[in-house]
Amino acid sequence: MNKPVTSRWAQQFPQLGTDPVPTEALLSEDYFRREKERLFRRTWLKLARVEELPTPGSWKLKPLPIWDTSIILVRGEDGLIRGFHNTCSHRGNRVIWAEDGHGRDRRFFCHFHGWTYNLKGELVHVPQEDEFFDSFCKGDNGLAPVAVDVWEGFIFAHLDPQPAQGLAEYLGEAAARLSGFPYGEMTAVYAYRTVLDCNWKIAQDAFSEAYHVTTIHAGSFPEGFSAKLYDVQLFGPHRTSAVYMDDKGPTPSPVAALAHKLGTTSIAKRGERVALPPKVNPTRSPNFAFELSVLFPNFLVHIMDGLYFTHQFHPLSVDKTLWEGIQYFRPPQNAGERFSQEYGQVLQRNAWLEDTATMEATHAALKSGAKKVMHLQDQEVLIRHHYQVVDEYVRG
Amino acid sequence: MSSALLPAAYRHLEPWAQRWALPTQNEREVARRAGSGIELKMFYDALIGEMDGIVGHLNTLDLASLPPAEQRLLYLTLSLAEVAPHVELYRGDPRVPYSFEEERFIAEHGGAAHYLGDLYAIPNRPA
Repeated sequence: MNKPVTSRWAQQFPQLGTDPVPTEALLSEDYFRREKERLFRRTWLKLARVEELPTPGSWKLKPLPIWDTSIILVRGEDGLIRGFHNTCSHRGNRVIWAEDGHGRDRRFFCHFHGWTYNLKGELVHVPQEDEFFDSFCKGDNGLAPVAVDVWEGFIFAHLDPQPAQGLAEYLGEAAARLSGFPYGEMTAVYAYRTVLDCNWKIAQDAFSEAYHVTTIHAGSFPEGFSAKLYDVQLFGPHRTSAVYMDDKGPTPSPVAALAHKLGTTSIAKRGERVALPPKVNPTRSPNFAFELSVLFPNFLVHIMDGLYFTHQFHPLSVDKTLWEGIQYFRPPQNAGERFSQEYGQVLQRNAWLEDTATMEATHAALKSGAKKVMHLQDQEVLIRHHYQVVDEYVRG
Repeated sequence: MSSALLPAAYRHLEPWAQRWALPTQNEREVARRAGSGIELKMFYDALIGEMDGIVGHLNTLDLASLPPAEQRLLYLTLSLAEVAPHVELYRGDPRVPYSFEEERFIAEHGGAAHYLGDLYAIPNRPA
């Protein structure tokens, strides 16, 4: 007989239930097709930081297979950031001649027939314009827009140029909780990516609980992170929680201790308390490690004292995911701070190598059909919430 | 080996400079993976006792415009950051134990020399 489990989060969030999660959501082509149509095409997605587009004319081209398009984000002469499909209004050639990238231009010039657009996406020049017919009007044929809005320097886009719900309303209380952190001052960036042969939710789940830390991060993080989540909050489709360290951990190794002395650059450093929003680590506990937040559907923001990092999981197909993990620090003021950042970011990279180690084998194993469900314990409540919200979109 | 690789006070570390004073993270990763546990430990032991002095010296200078010899000294410390987890945490394994294939992780900043975190200044980087 199974013991009854006295379960804190399950009691606080009874709507989530306690049943196992069917693996169909990870494996089914049909489920993925519905995620694409009913979820990703109907939510805001984070695409960039404002620092990526520093001046008028700065652009970023981001391929989004889940939207079947590539999006140009561009800062206009007026300073506003706009988003467009990378598709010429004439016969559909790409306007920026690349798969992805960054650049700076005064105009977008299609290299097929020379149609030219300004930074607002307006069609400003058509060679042999008088050969076109009355049905054509330059003013109606700018680049096709997407909706773009910015929260705390994160640029989000929505495929619908007139979405029913604006970004601020969509993010709601989750944004309120995470606002007020000095994201804009943390412009020293270390960015990693890889393509994983697994469903996007398998990848995202691995970063949505602390249960795994003592096992898979026994190598990189022996500091004694608590396996429990604290202060779990569900905000509509979004969710957040806090990860703390146990009261006592091992004495840091010599280089770790030096890196901690020279900067605050790692989740494993104890005791430094700076610049957190009031609702994050509200008691200012010295054991606070980081806030683990998921902005639905696929963007994770982890803020802590002295740095933050983000994850994003871009579905490429039912069994392929582009993962992007990015660490942000204040620009180093001297060599000691630079060294401290290198140690912190390299150790975090190593931890991410440990995190990603399970994902492809997990997908392959589940695909065998040997297991039809996943059992989630109480501390995996964020994952449970994720599957429930995804399912509501998919069936809704 | 040239006697001008490192600042005068750190000439005794020059035997390490050829292999470990590397300007990019990608190069430091490759050097670490190519090393044996014993080689990583020897480099670690050579640097660890010098770090307070090295950082004290480098911190008197403008990070963005270090002279070439000091720049190489900084690269040595960044290689120590790369190597240290393998000596202190991974029992000398030159790779991360129980991990994903490191070669498939792309560091977008990994090819940038003199990197101080200014990712968005790197031309033609991926989106």
